[in-house]
Amino acid sequence: MRKRIPVLAITVLSVVGIMLVSCGGAVGTLQFHANGEDFVRQGFVSKDGWSINFTHVYITLADVTACQTEPPYDPHLGVNMECDVKVNLLNTYTVDLAEGSENAPPILVGEVQNAAIGHYNAISWKMVKATSGSADSYSLVIVGTAEKDGQSIDFSIKVDEEYEYSCGEYVGDERKGMVAADGTADVEMTFHFDHIFGDAETPVDDDLNVSAVGFEPFAGIAEGGKMDVNMADLQSRFSSEDYQMLVDILPTLGHVGEGHCHCH
Amino acid sequence: MHMKWRIITCIIFILILDLVLPIKALAHGVKIEYTVNMAIEIIAAYDNGEPMGGAQVTVYAPDEPSSPWLTGVCDDRGYFSFIPDTSKPGTWDVQVRQAGHGDIVHIPIGEDMVVTGGTGGYTALQIVLMAACFIWGSVGTALYFSRRRRA
Repeated sequence: MRKRIPVLAITVLSVVGIMLVSCGGAVGTLQFHANGEDFVRQGFVSKDGWSINFTHVYITLADVTACQTEPPYDPHLGVNMECDVKVNLLNTYTVDLAEGSENAPPILVGEVQNAAIGHYNAISWKMVKATSGSADSYSLVIVGTAEKDGQSIDFSIKVDEEYEYSCGEYVGDERKGMVAADGTADVEMTFHFDHIFGDAETPVDDDLNVSAVGFEPFAGIAEGGKMDVNMADLQSRFSSEDYQMLVDILPTLGHVGEGHCHCH
Repeated sequence: MHMKWRIITCIIFILILDLVLPIKALAHGVKIEYTVNMAIEIIAAYDNGEPMGGAQVTVYAPDEPSSPWLTGVCDDRGYFSFIPDTSKPGTWDVQVRQAGHGDIVHIPIGEDMVVTGGTGGYTALQIVLMAACFIWGSVGTALYFSRRRRA
């Protein structure tokens, strides 16, 4: 009987070892970033000549999920995303896209350390109303200063609309989302604020500028160099055309780098 | 008789030379060669239909998706073409970018699109037939030995 114990122990250990090896897949870390781009970090000139600098751009994100999809998800089709593998952040996050210096990296929203290896070629998230903090009751709060021809306006624009984005692969200088064993990769939620204000460096007749509100309508409702408005204020004080333009353009904020998203 | 065989041998030799040696080229001769390749053609345009002339193109092969397999530029029509390596079946990704605008397209290229043949591969039918033969052989062998034991 004593002779059998070591044999039995080795057998059990071997079986357990094989089970652990076969069940435990390789994993790595996947980070989720939010990026307001240089437009937010460094400021820019709107299509109508207002030099805009941002103090804070609070955005609240929920149900942030990265997926491996095959075939790759195509946001142009406007269908629901079918994930083969997915990882997600569990909480709701309010981040300040203007945080840091003008050369600061994108904001780290969160990370998943046991992400299955592979290419996370799709991402989805919701822009929801914050329930506390500086952006309480709003999904997006844009705070900054706009200057033109010696005139300066301190502004705060608060948006309470909620949006849900489904996006394909990041489009940019590098490919993102490729998690290797014990490695770290990232995916990015990118927000294009030039869509709201337009960009003086882009031709006036470019689609970007044609569909952008610009800053002039906001300047027109400022009083004493200040403007603090929410969507209800804008609906009552903007022209109907300008308000509708803003409503139409807000869902297009979400991108993956230069890649477009489907907004539900 | 001997002389006759010499003449016949000379004639055969000359005929062989005619066949083997290259014929002198004519001044107005034309030589056309062709190769069958599967090219992928990209037409990139903005939503308003304007071609993405001069846009940067990056092609990623399925076996090494993090490193560009090919880079290039669209022509004035937003046109770009390339011939993928058909020995790398899978999804080929083509990214087109210009001045802050961009998109990526995913092109599935299956093994059945491989033009050239090769050795070592079997079709599904061949595999089924081979498996059936193996099973039949095993059953037959087993029956043969079991019958001998009974005898």
